[in-house]
Amino acid sequence: MNALEEKLNRFVKYRISEEDVRLLIDHLKQKAPVYAPHNSGEASFSYELVEKSTDVVLQYPRTMQPIKKFFLPPKEVLLNFNIKDNTYSKPEVPEETRIFFGIHSYEMASLKRLDYSFTQGHRESNYISRRKYAIFVGISYEPDESHFSKSVGIDVEETEGFDLFLLKNDTGYFLLEITETGKKLLDGYKENLVPDREELKLEPLRFKSKIKYHHNRLPSVFDHVYKSKVWEKYAEICVGCGTCNLLCSTCYCFDIRDEVELDAEHGSRTRYWDGCMLNTFAEVAGGENFRGSLARRTRHRLYRKFRYITAKSEMLHCVGCGRCSHYCPVGISMTDIVNDLIADHEEKQKREKI
Amino acid sequence: MENFALPTEDLYSPEIATITRVETLTESEKRFEIRMPGEKALNHKPGQFVEVSIFGFGEAPISICSSPTRGPLFELTVRATGRLTDKMHLLSEGSQIGIRGPFGNGFDPGAFKGKDILFVCGGIGLAPLKSLIDYTLDRREDFGRIIILYGTRNPSEILFPEEIKTWQSRKDVEFAITVDQASEEWQGNVGVITTLIPGLELDVKNTIVTVVGPPVMYKFVLMSLKGKRIPDENIYLSLERRMKCGVGKCGHCQINDTYVCQDGPVYHYPRVKQLEEAI
Repeated sequence: MNALEEKLNRFVKYRISEEDVRLLIDHLKQKAPVYAPHNSGEASFSYELVEKSTDVVLQYPRTMQPIKKFFLPPKEVLLNFNIKDNTYSKPEVPEETRIFFGIHSYEMASLKRLDYSFTQGHRESNYISRRKYAIFVGISYEPDESHFSKSVGIDVEETEGFDLFLLKNDTGYFLLEITETGKKLLDGYKENLVPDREELKLEPLRFKSKIKYHHNRLPSVFDHVYKSKVWEKYAEICVGCGTCNLLCSTCYCFDIRDEVELDAEHGSRTRYWDGCMLNTFAEVAGGENFRGSLARRTRHRLYRKFRYITAKSEMLHCVGCGRCSHYCPVGISMTDIVNDLIADHEEKQKREKI
Repeated sequence: MENFALPTEDLYSPEIATITRVETLTESEKRFEIRMPGEKALNHKPGQFVEVSIFGFGEAPISICSSPTRGPLFELTVRATGRLTDKMHLLSEGSQIGIRGPFGNGFDPGAFKGKDILFVCGGIGLAPLKSLIDYTLDRREDFGRIIILYGTRNPSEILFPEEIKTWQSRKDVEFAITVDQASEEWQGNVGVITTLIPGLELDVKNTIVTVVGPPVMYKFVLMSLKGKRIPDENIYLSLERRMKCGVGKCGHCQINDTYVCQDGPVYHYPRVKQLEEAI
């Protein structure tokens, strides 16, 4: 038994059918609003408020927008103001229980990174209010060609942060009780729910996308590749659209803008997701741009994921969800960039030895 | 797991302050004196900044140009260069503005006690340094020589003429000014600010140098200081970035691994020397 199996086997678990999973959603809906993956168009998925449990998609590769949208909304009014009398009010951020159902492990890991970012230094009330009472039900998934979370140290079956976890098996799912909160949620769920004593064995999962090095070694690679030619190589293809930033589950940079209504009296100070890949991001008054080239901006994005915050938080801030690779309009893949940097680093080491 | 029960901060709500005086300094720069609600002291350090806002026009980071030694009102020197600052120039005495802060790392004048201080100020960089200059003048006996070098593009852009007159007349202040382009009436030095450095006679080990100016200036000033054999450890500089939130979240002011709004704007030179995006 490996360490992960050992950990999973310590949790109380039940064997349930897919039908039972739908019933579980119905049961949870009585306790709090439930958000879960839904079909969105033909080949896309999106977390939405569950109206009917049968609408929920249990097996999906990834949603387009990450779960951060519930805690750091793409658009958020920070203040409503009145220009004429110079007054403002802060919209109340509800501190409510919300259940997030059918969430993948890399997504939960991304919230751990965002938790870090919004509690370090200044503890931001807006984020924490939304985050405080959130409950998470995880689910296992089949990695597609873009997932690489295993390469950054996050197993498909990682249960950290979840209250309940659904692990797919041949006939349906194992339902695992991870926390006390999770256990309580099951009160009144199903009659004759008997814990399953059988020892859990995990199928080895094949990730098609991989990083060549163990994740522990990645920050140190970044100590040596700042001046690598790899940045130029990808900058030549990149169009600077910022999709990778906006869909990244751990990116949290934002812009703040004032918007005024047509009466020229009322307005709001609103924050929007922003991205360091966008040209004007690092511009200062007077027009000087400290990351004027795409190569510099690409480098900055990668260093934010693998080096800068990592040095303080001791976590890689890339969770391997594969969104940046999957949705890049010109097909740039995160694992390709990192593997190229590793190759470049190895070559440099070889040259230095000679 | 994070403890979400710990106290949180409402980070983006400004206090509504009042403009108590407006002084036109140049064609594009004005000085504003500000009073916080209840005439509360801002409790800033020289070199820190505030986020100034006008509803409908947004927010911008502005350095505080007055010294905390001068009472509860504080001053901002604002160049009209964008939406917020253009609008601010239209405001007059009695107008209200939003203030958040003070933010960032300022100078620690206590650490400069007994030292000579050389101020290298380029253009509007004089504003944040004036906060420290005034501080050292108010505690004059705590410091050694006070040497102020000030460079502007042309004589019409000279800030703080009243203060400059005082500095020029004081025996315990050494002041030199230069302009890049002279006007017809200009009698003084002509040339970039680095032309004032080689002629200085300095006790290099005992001299603290503070540098603030436009981005292009740093490289050249630092080269000149190296020429004078000033150790890097004696140099402090303040870097300008677009600090949008002021509280280390929004990411706009990040230089490599440092957030200017948290670790800066005032940096000890050795901290940023190796950062490619810094200077």
